[in-house]
Amino acid sequence: MAINPIIVRRQAVNALVLVAATLSTAFGLFWLAWILWTTASKGAAALKPALFTQMTPPPGSDGGLLNAFAGSFVMIVMAVVIGTPIGVLAGTYLAEFARKTRAGAAIRFVNDILLSAPSIVIGLFVYQLAVRPFRHFSGYAGAIALAMILLPVVVRTSDEALQLVPDPMREAAVALGLPRWKITTKVVYRAASTGILTGVLLALARISGETAPLLFTALNNQYWTNDFSGPVANVPVVIFEYAMSPSDTWHALAWAGALIITLFVVALGILTRIAFRQRHRHG
Amino acid sequence: MDDRVNTLGDQPIVLDEPGGRRAKIEMRNLSFFYGKHRALKDVSAEFPENTISAIIGPSGCGKSTLLRTVNGMFELYPGQRAQGEILIDGEEVLSKRYSRARLRRNVGMVFQKPTPFVLSIYENIAFPVRHYERLSRSEMDERVERALTQAALWEEVRDKLKRSALALSGGQQQRLCIARTLAVRPQVLLLDEPTSALDPISTAKIEELLTQLARQLTVLIVTHNLQQAARISQKVIFMLAGEVIEAGDREELFVNPKDSRTSDYVTGRFG
Repeated sequence: MAINPIIVRRQAVNALVLVAATLSTAFGLFWLAWILWTTASKGAAALKPALFTQMTPPPGSDGGLLNAFAGSFVMIVMAVVIGTPIGVLAGTYLAEFARKTRAGAAIRFVNDILLSAPSIVIGLFVYQLAVRPFRHFSGYAGAIALAMILLPVVVRTSDEALQLVPDPMREAAVALGLPRWKITTKVVYRAASTGILTGVLLALARISGETAPLLFTALNNQYWTNDFSGPVANVPVVIFEYAMSPSDTWHALAWAGALIITLFVVALGILTRIAFRQRHRHG
Repeated sequence: MDDRVNTLGDQPIVLDEPGGRRAKIEMRNLSFFYGKHRALKDVSAEFPENTISAIIGPSGCGKSTLLRTVNGMFELYPGQRAQGEILIDGEEVLSKRYSRARLRRNVGMVFQKPTPFVLSIYENIAFPVRHYERLSRSEMDERVERALTQAALWEEVRDKLKRSALALSGGQQQRLCIARTLAVRPQVLLLDEPTSALDPISTAKIEELLTQLARQLTVLIVTHNLQQAARISQKVIFMLAGEVIEAGDREELFVNPKDSRTSDYVTGRFG
C-alpha cells in the first residue's frame, strides 16, 4: 500500500499535539500534587487533638488553633448570611428582570470585575470603611470583607442557575395565572435551587482560605473572643503569621491549619459535586 | 384571497358550528406581531363551546401564535403584540380590563413539552389551586385526586403523591400538567402539540382524556398530526402563512375541503 504523505503528516501532528497536551496536563497536575502532598505530609505530622482544644500559643510554647477555627467559622457564617441573600436577589434581578437589557449587561460586567478583584483591594477598602472609622480591627469588618468576596460569586452562579430554568416552566406557571413573585419563589427558585446552592458552596470554599482581606480587618487575636467588634483570630492569618515565625512549633501549627483548610475546601468541592449530580438525576 | 376568510368574522356563528353549539371564543380581525413581523393576518375564527377544535397547518403558519394570544401569554415578551379582538363569552379579553389573573384562570394551557414544577406530584396540583381557593386538607386531597383521575393518572400515582414529579415518565408528566391545569377549573383548555414528545400509548391516553374533557370544556389543540386532528376534533381550522384558509366540521374539511390548499395539505402534498 502506498504511503499517503497527507495521512502521515496528520498522524505526526496528531501525535505531537497529543504529547504536548498530555505533558501540559501532567505539568499542571504535578504542582498540584506536590502542594497537596507537602500540605498533607507536613500537616498530618502536626495533627493532634490539642489543635481543637487549645488556644493559639504565645511565642515558643505549644498550643492549638481552637480560637482561630472558631473565629474563622463565625466570620464565614456571618459573610454567608450577609452575602447570600443579597447575591441571590441580585442574581434574580439579572436573570428574571434584566436578562437581555443593557443594565443587565453592565451589571454583569461590573460583577465580573468584582469577581476577579484582588482580595487585598477589598481588604483595603473594608479597612477604610469599617476599621479606620472605629480605630480598631474587628471581626465584623472581617465578615464584611469576606461577604464582599462571596457576593459576586453568588450573583454570577445564581444568575446562571436561574437562566438555566427553562422558559416553558415559567410560561406554564404564568398560564396558571400565578403572580410573578409566586412564580419566582415557588417555581423558579425550586428548579434552580441546586445551582444556587452550588454557587454558595463554591463561594464558601473561596472565602475560607482568604487571608489578605482579613489581615486588614479582623487581624488576629491570640485568645478566644466572643466580641466581634474587636480583633478576632482566624485560620488564614494565623497560618500567615506562624509560617513567618522562626518557631518550629508554630510552623507545625501553620501546616496543620493549612491541611485542615485544604480538607475543608476539598470536602466542600465534593459536596458541591454531589449536589450537582442529584440535580442531573432529577433531569 | 379566499372569500371565506373575509366572511367568517361577520357570519352568524351558527353556520360554522358542529351541532349548532354556541361560540365560546371568537376572534375578530386578529393580527399578531413579533416586532415588525406579522405572524397573524386578520384572523377571524370561532371556537364552539364544549368541543375540540384542532388548529392545523405547516410549521410557521401561526398555529401556536394563535393559541398563545388566547391567554395573553405573548405579553411576557416585549416586542410581541396582538391587534384585533378575542372574545370569550362575549367579553373582550385582549384589553387590560379583563384581568390577566381571571383570563388565565379561565383559560388553561398545556405545552408541547411537559412542564412539571420541581415539587411533589401532590404539590404540583395543590400549589396553583391554593392561589385561588382556601381549601381544607381533605378538600384539597379530594381536588387533587379528582384532577388526577380526570387526567387518567390517579391509578398510577396514588401511592407516590409525595414523590417528585420529575420522577414520572414523559407521558405521565404531561398528564400531570393537564391535571394541574384542570385543578384550577378552567373553562377553556389550550394545548400546543401536547403529544408530539410522547410515545403512542401516552398519546392515546391523552387523546381519550381530551375527548372526555370536551364534555365540559372548550378545547383548542394545535397539532402537526393530521390523524390526531381527525381522531379527536369536531372542528378543524387550517392555517397557512398567518391566515385561516379554511375552517369547518372535521368531516367537511378532511373529506370535502373547499380550498385547494386545504386539500393539498390534508392529502399530504405539502407541510
